[in-house]
Amino acid sequence: MPPPLQAQRLLLSHRRLAPSHRRLFTVVSSLPSAPTLATGAVPSSILSIRESLLSGERTAADITADYLSRLRRTEPSVRSFIHVADAAAEREAEELDRRIATGGREAVGPLAGVIFGVKDNLCTANMPSTGGSRILDGYRPAYDATAVRRLREADAIVVGKTNLDEFGMGSTTEGSGFQVTTNPWDDSRVPGGSSGGSASAVSARQCVVSLGSDTGGSVRQPASFCGVVGLKPTYGRVSRFGLMAYASSLVVVGCFGSSVIDTATILSVIAGHDKMDSTSSSHYVPDYKSELIPQDLLESKPLNGTRIGIIQETLGEGVETGVISSIKAAASHLEQLGSVVEEVSLPSFCLGLPAYYILASSEASSNLSRYDGIRYGRQISADDLNELYGGSRANSLGHEVKMRILMGTYALSAGYYDAYYKRAQQVRTLVKKSFNEALERYDILVSPAAPSAAYKIGEKINDPLAMYAGDIMTVNVNLAGLPALVVLCGFVEGGSAGLPVGLQMIGSPFSERASYDAAVNRLCLPDGFEASRIKFQDRFHGVY
Amino acid sequence: MLSAASSAIPRLRWAAPLGNLSARKQWLLLRRRSISSSSPSPYATAAAGGGTLEPPDLPRLADAARISLSPEEAKELAPKIRQVVDWFGQLQAVDLECVEPSLRAGTAAGNSLRQDTPETFANGDAIIHAIPSYDDPYIKVPRVLNKE
Repeated sequence: MPPPLQAQRLLLSHRRLAPSHRRLFTVVSSLPSAPTLATGAVPSSILSIRESLLSGERTAADITADYLSRLRRTEPSVRSFIHVADAAAEREAEELDRRIATGGREAVGPLAGVIFGVKDNLCTANMPSTGGSRILDGYRPAYDATAVRRLREADAIVVGKTNLDEFGMGSTTEGSGFQVTTNPWDDSRVPGGSSGGSASAVSARQCVVSLGSDTGGSVRQPASFCGVVGLKPTYGRVSRFGLMAYASSLVVVGCFGSSVIDTATILSVIAGHDKMDSTSSSHYVPDYKSELIPQDLLESKPLNGTRIGIIQETLGEGVETGVISSIKAAASHLEQLGSVVEEVSLPSFCLGLPAYYILASSEASSNLSRYDGIRYGRQISADDLNELYGGSRANSLGHEVKMRILMGTYALSAGYYDAYYKRAQQVRTLVKKSFNEALERYDILVSPAAPSAAYKIGEKINDPLAMYAGDIMTVNVNLAGLPALVVLCGFVEGGSAGLPVGLQMIGSPFSERASYDAAVNRLCLPDGFEASRIKFQDRFHGVY
Repeated sequence: MLSAASSAIPRLRWAAPLGNLSARKQWLLLRRRSISSSSPSPYATAAAGGGTLEPPDLPRLADAARISLSPEEAKELAPKIRQVVDWFGQLQAVDLECVEPSLRAGTAAGNSLRQDTPETFANGDAIIHAIPSYDDPYIKVPRVLNKE
């Protein structure tokens, strides 16, 4: 009989060594044998950095230099960063080392030495913050966003601002006003969007963790495409102060990490009420990582009795077969771990997509009216004020942004409000209701995070509806304000070494901990990171 | 399911009623027409059944949104916007009788307001520094009123 640890390991990809240096990943199958994983301590880059700093084994300057050198080596191909703050990062690392030398472990915060990337729609004081748009080219905010400030106060180090679709509008990061980010798994493919740069930076190990924002899937879909852990917290869990507004009733600050425990650690630091954001919640902030138990201490059926519902509408027509089999394999593994898995139907699911785009475009048309060229950003010269507004905006706002502003203006205009905006809000009520009903019967709902793995750059850029259709798995969660975690659960064929597929786990409000409980460290999903690290050695021929 | 979500979108035929004019002249004419005329009530056509609403009047919307679209841009954007707005139209067919509209997700607990006392922001200089045209203590703009 295999030892208990073996039974918990999940192989979600069957690796074959090809004659050349390429490793091929076939479509998911759930097999009991697995590549060996480190036993004992829960895998965490944050913890191992902290331990090596405090034991004196490594210095912060050393760790920072390591990440920066990998960043510089991979950036020409991946292009995750709009701005790299290397000098500032090196300075902060040296300062940390000084404080550790004089004051010991008490002198530095819990995230000491953790290098992180920040999506460029989050304000960072005195560092360029463009929102991915030419209209804010050169803009340096006067303050840090609250999420950024809290990470910095814990002594984490900002390494740069990551690329995104302009103002968060898009699902591929091709909508950036500056550059196209590529997927580290295959540089002819998109990393997903809109937080594509944040996802690819963590995937390519250019930083330990990163911050993103999720309005309709902008953290979860890139997490799936890039094979990293992505968290969208409950609406109101994290302050939105300093996040450039796109759709205020839908968006939430999220984070990426290479492991569930790292994202849990980040969430503990950034979550909590903020007087600068009146929509932030005062709900108690638990220590999210304290519930996570090392693999070797788990009993054989750690998910005993947990009720899991697979959303039926996400496994049907329009979803790639490789994605469906990854999800089904993950589900059968969840069953092996003791949970009860059933299919559940959410009646208003398909209506959520047009409702979302109506609400998001409408809110965007209002929120983006502040970009008028007067108080910040690019200004064109004009003879009168209206021309200055019209010209500055026309000149510097991108195509997709203009489209959404115009659609939103239409949906909100007199005579159309009832037909579009109000109806979308009513659909929102229906979506919330169907989720609430399902979450009374199930602890967690699961689905894919996207109908396919990463597609080719340029494939959907001229077809807005095709691009919007890819958001079907994620938008309803924003309409309902629920938390969702995406973890790597398998691979499909594509690229030189396969393309990752993520499993989305949705919980009831403020139940982020429940999702974590069920996810990696209890599920013992392999640290897909080991796999990606090996691929990077192949790709980038270097020390990794 | 996904194909249903994006199916049945009527292909827009780009009407060219002013076919003998240049693109720019067509654009200016359309713009002047739409600004001066009052648009008919959208419900006039909606009442006719099938839930058809007036299509987006792009020049008027661009004006309201303060975006000076070039004629080429308008030509490119109009069919796409029309296509997406038609897709939005599928919500017309849903029975939403007695369904309350939701303003927000409902997870953030109420509105917490801070004390109505002024606080000084420490980094005011950085805000001033970001202004493109500044002439202490004025933010400079071109003339506001333009009598034609």
